[in-house]
Amino acid sequence: MNSPADHAVMLEVRDGDVTKLGLLFERYQAALFNFFLRLTGNRQTSEDLVQDVFFRMLKYRHTYQDGSDFTTWMYQIARNVRFDCFRKRKREVMLNEEENERVSPGPGPGEKLEREQELVLLRGALARLPEEKREILVLSRFQNLKYDQIAKILCCDVGTVKVRVYRAVRELGEIFFRLSGERVS
Amino acid sequence: MNCEQMHERLPDYLVDDLDESERTQAHLHLSACPRCRETADRFLEIWRKLEMLSAEEPGVALRARFDAMLEAYTQGLGEARTDALRQRFDRWIGGFWPRRPAYQVGLCSLFLLLGLAIGHIVKSRPSANGELAELRQEVHNMYQLVTLSLLQQQSASERIRGLSWSQRVSQPDPQVLSALLQVLDYDPNANVRLAAVDALQQFSDQSMVRQGLVQALTRQSSPLVQIALIDLLVQIQEKRSVDTFKRMIADENLNDAVKQRAERALKQLS
Repeated sequence: MNSPADHAVMLEVRDGDVTKLGLLFERYQAALFNFFLRLTGNRQTSEDLVQDVFFRMLKYRHTYQDGSDFTTWMYQIARNVRFDCFRKRKREVMLNEEENERVSPGPGPGEKLEREQELVLLRGALARLPEEKREILVLSRFQNLKYDQIAKILCCDVGTVKVRVYRAVRELGEIFFRLSGERVS
Repeated sequence: MNCEQMHERLPDYLVDDLDESERTQAHLHLSACPRCRETADRFLEIWRKLEMLSAEEPGVALRARFDAMLEAYTQGLGEARTDALRQRFDRWIGGFWPRRPAYQVGLCSLFLLLGLAIGHIVKSRPSANGELAELRQEVHNMYQLVTLSLLQQQSASERIRGLSWSQRVSQPDPQVLSALLQVLDYDPNANVRLAAVDALQQFSDQSMVRQGLVQALTRQSSPLVQIALIDLLVQIQEKRSVDTFKRMIADENLNDAVKQRAERALKQLS
């Protein structure tokens, strides 16, 4: 992620060689898709949002500066896209419980069942987490971003990011273990 | 490391981003503090469980949609470049044009009044009109001068040029007309006299010219010029030439062709 090559390619796109954006799409479409998928839980919406991110990269390519960090810039756009979508379609933002019942392939039958139950609980817990906390977890846990990068994306200092991560993990744990207790009882 | 510091370090502990000494201190604290150990274990457990939410692959259609979008954008970009200048001009013009209809009507009226005012000023400027008339008069005089000057040249072709210059003078002075009649009467070259007939045709509405043409007919010896004069006199319906025609018909020495033309002219005029 965030190799100097990405920066060079994006500079070329900015300077008019827009077809080079295809390279960046190839590298980042899956990462962005999963970023949106973990936030919305909806594949179709996530694909639409990925498309929108790359469209905005073209549209606002002149805002990319020589000293910019591509990954940071991309996630900033992604957050804006997500925010605009959130305003337009508030209902869809709520993670759909049915959507979360997706079955993932796993080990043997007994273990598999237990794992699936955990997965459902985890998704449920994540869905119950406030938007802001879910986002910081996704960024720090799944997108391979360091805290200082996340700080740049969120326009805050690293200390704030760590505090938010701490609170998000603590709250997710509380919800998850509460749900586990409910399931057992 | 105390409990508070341990909690502060937990986010780094989760992503294993502690340096060697911090890590040692954290482990020492966790082994000594059951509450912090329990918190750290819960944190690590939930952090690791998140791994179960494995990444998914986007649909293949996503790439196709992206390619289509990129192609459309590139195409639009090309068209936009073509229109860029026109749009810039439109925007520039648009910048002057008010948005409110009331202001638009006002501006139109202002331009109309401005146009009328300019027209009025230009029309009523006597000096401009006077200068123009003066200039025209000067050009007119110059044409006459050139005509008179050329008519006095030795060379026949220069004199013919003079006759053609006379065509540019719309209302010639009597001086120019008499010069033309004089050429018709006395020029030694028949071609020049013939050209004089043509030149005088333009001024045949003036009585001085008509009379001069009738008199010239009696003085001409060249049949060509005589025929040209007879034709012109018939064309301008000059009745005073009838007597001259009769005298010519009676003249036995006259060229037959001229005589026939005079007879026919006589019939046409009588």
